[in-house]
Amino acid sequence: MEQKNSKRGIGWGGKTLKQMLEEDEQLFHETGYYYGLKELPLMKEDPLRMEVFFSRLLASAVAGRETARMITASPFVREVGELAVALYTPEGDCVLQSTGIIIHIPLMGEVIKWMISQDYEQDPGIREGDIFTSNDNQIAGMHPLDIYDIIPIFYQEELVGWVGSVIMEPDIGAISCGMMPMGATERFVEGLRWSAEKTGTNDKYSRFFETRIRHGCRFPDTVILDRKGALAADIKVREEVKRIIGEFGIDYYKRAIRELIEGERRAQLERVKTRMVPGRLRAVSCYENYYSKAMVPAHHRVDRITLVPIDVIIKSDGKFFWDFDGAGSWGWHANNCSPSALRGGACLLLSQQIAYTGKANQGTMLCVELNTPYDTYVNPSSPNVATMNQFSVPTNGGALIWNLNCRAFFSRGFIEEVIASALGLAGPILTGISHHGGPAFPPGATGSTPSGGCAIRDGFTGWALFLPNPDMGNVEVWEMATPLNYMGTRLLPDSCAWGKYRSGYGVIFTYLVYKSPQLAFEKLNLCRDEMIHPNIGMFGGYPGSRGFARLLVNADTARLIEQEKPLVHGMGCSGEAKLGIDVKGKLEVSTLGAGWFEGIAKHGDWYQAATPGVAGGFGDPIKRDPELVKQDLDNGLLSIERCRSIYCVEATYDQKNEEWIIDKEKTAMLREKRRRERLANGIPAKQWWQKRRQDLIKGSLPPLLKDMYNDSLAKGKRWPGEFTAFWNLPSDFKFH
Amino acid sequence: MSSLPSGTCHQISSSTKGVEMSEVSYPKEVIKDLIEGRLPWERVKSIISGYKDRDRFDKYVEILQEKMPWKEKILLPLTDELYIVEKGNDRIVKCSCGYEFGDYRENWKLKALMHVRETEEEIRELYPYPGAPDPHYCEIREYYCPGCGSQLEVESVPFGYPAIFDFLPDLDSFYSEWLGRPLKTRKEFKDLTEELTRKWGSEE
Repeated sequence: MEQKNSKRGIGWGGKTLKQMLEEDEQLFHETGYYYGLKELPLMKEDPLRMEVFFSRLLASAVAGRETARMITASPFVREVGELAVALYTPEGDCVLQSTGIIIHIPLMGEVIKWMISQDYEQDPGIREGDIFTSNDNQIAGMHPLDIYDIIPIFYQEELVGWVGSVIMEPDIGAISCGMMPMGATERFVEGLRWSAEKTGTNDKYSRFFETRIRHGCRFPDTVILDRKGALAADIKVREEVKRIIGEFGIDYYKRAIRELIEGERRAQLERVKTRMVPGRLRAVSCYENYYSKAMVPAHHRVDRITLVPIDVIIKSDGKFFWDFDGAGSWGWHANNCSPSALRGGACLLLSQQIAYTGKANQGTMLCVELNTPYDTYVNPSSPNVATMNQFSVPTNGGALIWNLNCRAFFSRGFIEEVIASALGLAGPILTGISHHGGPAFPPGATGSTPSGGCAIRDGFTGWALFLPNPDMGNVEVWEMATPLNYMGTRLLPDSCAWGKYRSGYGVIFTYLVYKSPQLAFEKLNLCRDEMIHPNIGMFGGYPGSRGFARLLVNADTARLIEQEKPLVHGMGCSGEAKLGIDVKGKLEVSTLGAGWFEGIAKHGDWYQAATPGVAGGFGDPIKRDPELVKQDLDNGLLSIERCRSIYCVEATYDQKNEEWIIDKEKTAMLREKRRRERLANGIPAKQWWQKRRQDLIKGSLPPLLKDMYNDSLAKGKRWPGEFTAFWNLPSDFKFH
Repeated sequence: MSSLPSGTCHQISSSTKGVEMSEVSYPKEVIKDLIEGRLPWERVKSIISGYKDRDRFDKYVEILQEKMPWKEKILLPLTDELYIVEKGNDRIVKCSCGYEFGDYRENWKLKALMHVRETEEEIRELYPYPGAPDPHYCEIREYYCPGCGSQLEVESVPFGYPAIFDFLPDLDSFYSEWLGRPLKTRKEFKDLTEELTRKWGSEE
């Protein structure tokens, strides 16, 4: 198709896309309705036709996603499903989204809006068959491994929309291999970057694009095949959209996609008003970045804890307002966040918690407002800031927001929606030589965390707030890709978050290094929680255990095999071998800060990743039904010591029948005794307040915390006043 | 909703600002079983997946009110033990045991009993694996009801962080704008906690 005369735009009725975008924003600003739609005539006149129209479009996006999965070479895509596909208006507003990693859905729209604002229509031009690729988080995105491939949809020489696909890559040639290298402390070591570049024409990527990939990353075949999968998905949706336009008519299509967005906006407000309670919900998140010993430039070797307070305001008009006032400084580490990433987080949370009808789109996002103070952890001022793990706040803070929303569901009576939430994710990032002789492919499959306790039942064991990783796919496929043999996935006894309803149990994955001559493991903790556990418990339940990892090098595995002894499959319960004891070698344990394990692993060595994920318990643990306690005991997931000390349940083991017997009378006594102890030994909050206030005045707290508070006191507008008022300190208080 | 047993709910259709919505209603006994955790999971799942029942709040409050040993009207359940109730012209936070914490706009935690887990042994009891919180950096605060000794909340925050006021509901907007039945008096939507800490400070 020829590029049109520059005065006549490629948008609707000869408008430029820039004009359409301005009109879009102006109409919403002036009327409060998406594109000024006060009425929804198509939906009103024939709702069934509209439903059929929507279903056809949605089916195309889902089918596109499945097409990509069949083409890709990456187990992340094929096995785990780390991809998503969405349809956009000409202005970049999402009309609908497939399943998958939906955190990216509004962000691909932001890339489209950015291209429009940069006048791509003039230069480099937008034509049928063009392909635009972006993973530049200065424009929009979660982290550079998530690559967006976006194509325009033309119909009768007008641009009628866009399709975007996102796929997460295992590597894009950053400073070290893997999804979120913690050593990437500035933008320039994050690997390949495409800043919304035109990477192909006529439905074909350019040769230069492929060459850059071939020469720029560790697994070029994977990245190239993923691009082809993404492009196939985009084309499938594009062609299906054209077919649907042919069926319904272009006029219907243009009006209906706008009605779908405005209809969803109204539905979202209505859902909030009918399921929640307006008011202010409050949390605080902490981000611990310990880089003093990391292999990064000297001026990046800083240990720092950063506060990000969170207020979730549910407004009386049904909108959310997320206020991050008081957020501390960004830093030279991999874990800063951005407003764009927070919008992704909002899409993720809302799509799963309340807007889960399958129709979440731009209309949902129009119901969320953010305050992300400039020059802070959630809105860094430097263009050179690292963006490898912008998930930090959406996963850590996002889990807290999930918890807060559940409090509003609980108050309104929708207790079946209440899950105390959980953070993610611990897993191996590795680099070295694979069993095939090339670079070692990083394993996935450890995204799974337990869920928090629910208001009406225990939490789930396989759950993840932010991606579908609980379904890790086929272990055998991963074993083909990575130089690791999966030796077991076990539940970790006593790892739950305690409560009347406990969380799910943590999981430990055990890997045996296979035919690799050298393998180095990096520590990964997306959520940046380490010494300070997130405030994720609910109504008397505790926050749960954190993730950790163990590496055993110089292992004498061959001896065990030769002697036909049991191998390692977990923590060493039920006669299985224990790492470092039955299998000897040099053992390192990490609580997943930043940096690398010291040991270099090779064939026969061991790696374990545990993902309790810090879930939240629900309710007072001494109110737990003793029958549920018995189930945990019988399943070998609860020690009798913690059964007594935390649940106040007495039980004895019946050897003959191989089960635990609850002593109801003693249990009642233990529980009554605990209540009396709480009443006798608990101190009035006022007394605690007086003591802690003196601690603060005297500066009796670790220097890292003093720096953390001083940082937020200097950065915040509202928060500093609330902090000093709570402790009755002078308004200009600072720690010395 | 076809997966639901017949006779357990009814569904009608209504229009809300041009968007057709379906309405569902469950018998009080079903909601009661749901609250008590007695409803079979398959049934719960169908409720989660189905349309939401608009009369839930009233049934929910009615069921909870019947369980309470006291008569003050529940305006809003805050937690599984705490309720905002109407007492004369005041709105206070009240425990299911009857203990009264005071104005709902003041963080009830400051009227509770507390225990902070500070020793290694206390921390290890909860966290047996590597990566336990460090009590020098992290306060694990337990809040108990002074009336019945129930553990009402556990807070895990940086050492020295203010007690978190988890939820300050905008009750008047809720009742007047969302439920369409204003409460008999209006209260300013305002956090009153700092008035209490100011008073405590003046006593030192």
